[in-house]
Amino acid sequence: MATQIVMDQTGDTRHEFDPRNAEAVARAEKRFMELTGVGFTAAVRTAPGEVSKVQSFDPTAKETLFYPRLVGG
Amino acid sequence: MILGFRARSPGRSRLRALRELYRCFVGENTPEARGRRLLCEWLSEEQRTQFEEHQYFDVIGCDTGTRYRIHYGTAANVHEISEAGIAGMGWCFLPSGYLVPGDVMLAQKIALETNETAALAVANRFPPPGQSTHLYRRPF
Repeated sequence: MATQIVMDQTGDTRHEFDPRNAEAVARAEKRFMELTGVGFTAAVRTAPGEVSKVQSFDPTAKETLFYPRLVGG
Repeated sequence: MILGFRARSPGRSRLRALRELYRCFVGENTPEARGRRLLCEWLSEEQRTQFEEHQYFDVIGCDTGTRYRIHYGTAANVHEISEAGIAGMGWCFLPSGYLVPGDVMLAQKIALETNETAALAVANRFPPPGQSTHLYRRPF
């Protein structure tokens, strides 16, 4: 199973999908496009503690994390 | 006699255990606890150890190699750190949307480690601890 983790006011919301299920992958890709389209940044873990930003949907990523647009505090 | 009997009652023990279990479950599922857990999952081992000991961890900016210290919190919690370990200029930036501290800190880590320049471009600067309280705003 792959997981999309979206930061929100509850801490996070997790959406799991089976990367072998075409329908589930399509839903996950749609979610990726919607979130990045409204300013969320997507990142994946490349190694323990190492993170990489991603610009396009990767159905093979085990975990993709989304956080909202950064603003000055 | 009755009190002694009630204190040893297995029913009361079970009830107490259930209450404790519920308290633990609720405590571990607050937004703050979930954010903290997510943060720890994504930190390196070194960062996690540092965070557990001091409530902060260091990251290296991907563009300049600058060391930053991210403290537990949601605002004005990022400082540059000199090689001597002295706190320098502060940078205030965070993800929009009133997120919990763990989430904010994780977003700050990822931003500094993967796109430092863009993160600092939106940030407001503030002086090191002990100096002027005047807030330096962009594009200073």
